[in-house]
Amino acid sequence: MKIEDISKKSEQLITIKPEDLMPLPYPYDTPDADPAMRELTQDQKNRYEASLDGVLAIGIPKPETKEIEEELIRKFLSGLAKLLTKENNWTFLQPLLHSLEYCVKCQICNDSCPVYVASGKQEIYRPTYRPEILRRIINKYLKKQSTLSLKLTGSDIELNWTLIARLAELSYRCTLCRRCAQVCPLGVDNGLISHEIRKIFSQEMGIAPKELHESGTVQQLKVGSSTGITPKALGNIISFMEDEIEEKTGKKIKIPVDKEGADILLLHNAGEFMAWPENTEAFAIIFEAAGINWTLSSELVGYDAVNYGVWYDDFQFAKIALRHAEVAKALKVKKISVGECGHAHKAMMVIADRILTGDLNIPRESAIPLLADLVINNKIKLDPGRNNFPITLHDPCNMVRLMGIVEPQRQILRKICPQFREMEPHGVDNYCCGGGSGFAIIQSMNFPDWRSAISGRVKLKQVLETFQDVISPDIPKYVCAPCSNCKGQIRDLFNYYSVFEKCNIFYGGLVELIANAMVDIEKPFIEWEWH
Amino acid sequence: MRIFLAILTYFSYIFIIAMYTIKAAKYLKLPVHLRWELYPVMHEENYQYGGSYFEQVDWWTRIRQKRYLRGFLFLLKEYFVLGEYFQKHKAYWYFLYPWHIGFILIITFHILCFFGAVAMVFGITISSSSQSITGIVFYYAILFTGVVSFVTGAFGSVGLLIKRIYDENLKQYATPLHYFTYIFTFLIFISGFYAWYFIDPTLSEYREFWKGLITFKFIDVGCGAATHIILFNLFLVYLPYTRSMHYITRFFGFCLIRWDDEPNMRGGKLERKLQALLNQKVSWSAAHIKSGKTWGEQVEEPKMRS
Ligand code: SF4
Ligand code: SF4
Repeated sequence: MKIEDISKKSEQLITIKPEDLMPLPYPYDTPDADPAMRELTQDQKNRYEASLDGVLAIGIPKPETKEIEEELIRKFLSGLAKLLTKENNWTFLQPLLHSLEYCVKCQICNDSCPVYVASGKQEIYRPTYRPEILRRIINKYLKKQSTLSLKLTGSDIELNWTLIARLAELSYRCTLCRRCAQVCPLGVDNGLISHEIRKIFSQEMGIAPKELHESGTVQQLKVGSSTGITPKALGNIISFMEDEIEEKTGKKIKIPVDKEGADILLLHNAGEFMAWPENTEAFAIIFEAAGINWTLSSELVGYDAVNYGVWYDDFQFAKIALRHAEVAKALKVKKISVGECGHAHKAMMVIADRILTGDLNIPRESAIPLLADLVINNKIKLDPGRNNFPITLHDPCNMVRLMGIVEPQRQILRKICPQFREMEPHGVDNYCCGGGSGFAIIQSMNFPDWRSAISGRVKLKQVLETFQDVISPDIPKYVCAPCSNCKGQIRDLFNYYSVFEKCNIFYGGLVELIANAMVDIEKPFIEWEWH
Repeated sequence: MRIFLAILTYFSYIFIIAMYTIKAAKYLKLPVHLRWELYPVMHEENYQYGGSYFEQVDWWTRIRQKRYLRGFLFLLKEYFVLGEYFQKHKAYWYFLYPWHIGFILIITFHILCFFGAVAMVFGITISSSSQSITGIVFYYAILFTGVVSFVTGAFGSVGLLIKRIYDENLKQYATPLHYFTYIFTFLIFISGFYAWYFIDPTLSEYREFWKGLITFKFIDVGCGAATHIILFNLFLVYLPYTRSMHYITRFFGFCLIRWDDEPNMRGGKLERKLQALLNQKVSWSAAHIKSGKTWGEQVEEPKMRS
């Protein structure tokens, strides 16, 4: 396949064959161990632009007329031009230009990419492929280089709707894990280029996966949470959590909500309330036991830490970041503490740092160092013997490689989990779970299969390798993933491969392990029920 | 010929300095961006495992020790080792490294020739039997840098050319300019080698040539040295049009992007810069963006219930 083939009309640019995929360890080391990825139906193929790899994350409807198609091409070019201006893109202009201009195409970043490697090195998933397409378009259509110059710089490419539709989908085949950027000796960041391509589509053309935009940021700003939880529903959920805490632990805890002047406003990914309430309950139990002055918020957006804008749209991002700060300001809390959600960590503490000014610049920190302080300094009584099963830690990219929060979670696990073992590689060299950059929540058509079979494949391999000596289903094992999106991805990945059934590998957060070790709770807090 | 050589040399040096300065200034004038760091950040205390100040409770209350020198030395070391290439693609490194060393040394060679010429103007003789230690040091340093650069550079150029042609991963992304550059650099290094080996084993012509440039008494040099000087000068003019600026922007990229973990503090200088940027008008045209309004005006009034 040649780079310029992206503009050539064909039913599919590539087809992923099971035999091309990176092999997995036992018990997935047989040819039939990989479930067949669902194919799109003929109807889906007819309706949507699916000619990249036969997978749909966005599902762009096919333009009905030539005029619409031309208008879309024109918009793409105008968006690309805006992306390169200070007024429209000061937020990322310097990093973008650096990455566009200084790649020497040495390709040493390629093998760091879990998607490229897992797919059997499909050309279109190569970290340098997307940037190369974008550079060529810029050289030819914005810089308007002469034919000779285009030939010399290898920049000839035909910009047409086929290319644009494929590029849109392709920007959602990169998890923005930035492993490729980490090894680049010149500081080039191919992950950033995927992020910037997504912005052209969203900010100029109004094209983005539904889960990120309509039912993501738009819904969050409108009803309060991307899960659809309204402030009223939150009240019911909190009562339910209080009841469940009592039932599980015998403790009567009143979860503080909208407590003015609290030291900490704790922000959870609202997905936890729905899918893993034991995580938010464990936080309440631990904070209560440690005597922390904290609160939740029931204001719109104030009870959902997520900010999907960080993956595709600077404006949606800024709106949500400001709303979070406004909520904290109104509650007059001393600081915001972010629960177990990797992207919310990065969004609120790193990216929003240069959006929030004046009195909206409220101190923000991760809850994990605070938890480490409680555990290490014996501020709550814990018995490590209660966590005596093999445990490994998944490092969420956003929290670790992109924020440098590496040790506190390990300090906790070393102290309370006698059988804690690292997966390789780990820490800042970790592999993405495969659900990064919004993938974990994208449920579009056959995309979930792709993210299990391809983008999550290296993570599955790592987990299986880590537990090879105890792989028998007779031994319960735990993957600790202190991030809601990572948990969502691991749940789907393990379901896809029936990992729980075949290997008895469970997954969950970090606070659950702390609560599980608390001596004043009689029954085990972790229930080992798959959900 | 002597006038042509002199003018070309003056021009190419002024040209490359001007072009690199303009490019560097353009880079540095770009607006401050949102944070996008990547760990390990070398100036951080816990850089060994990639830790950051976010690992501390109430991090904003602690005094941060930034070790900029560590980052600088890390980048400098990488220039001389190219460790990432060695780890990830050894077969490529075997050619890239000599090519790269060839560059560093050929530039050092020309700089030494210039300073050697300055020394000559001050009456120091540069030779192996010079009365002055400076003269002897210059003699051997020029000889060493020149000859080693010619040999390693020529070897690396051929090696990289072959690698780009036959390595499937590199070939797909190679452009005619890549091939042209390798051939061009090969000619530069080999012409230097030829002049040294067959014509001027002490490399004295280059020093004399530079002395002429400094004193404005231009001299003729033999065809071997002349060819090398012309090719090298043309290369200096060509360099700004390649990605060679990465030798400098690499520093910028690491210090201003990858390791930029500077927090925005209330009332600080950074905050003032950000406020100005937020006042710029945007023209994005998707429905959820208010085109023609500023960044600050994009965010609707918060709908607080209380
Ligand atoms: S991004 Fe960096 S590592 Fe990858 S090809 Fe470009 S220069 Fe090489
Ligand atoms: S950011 Fe991650 S997924 Fe994207 S190209 Fe780089 S390594 Fe691959």
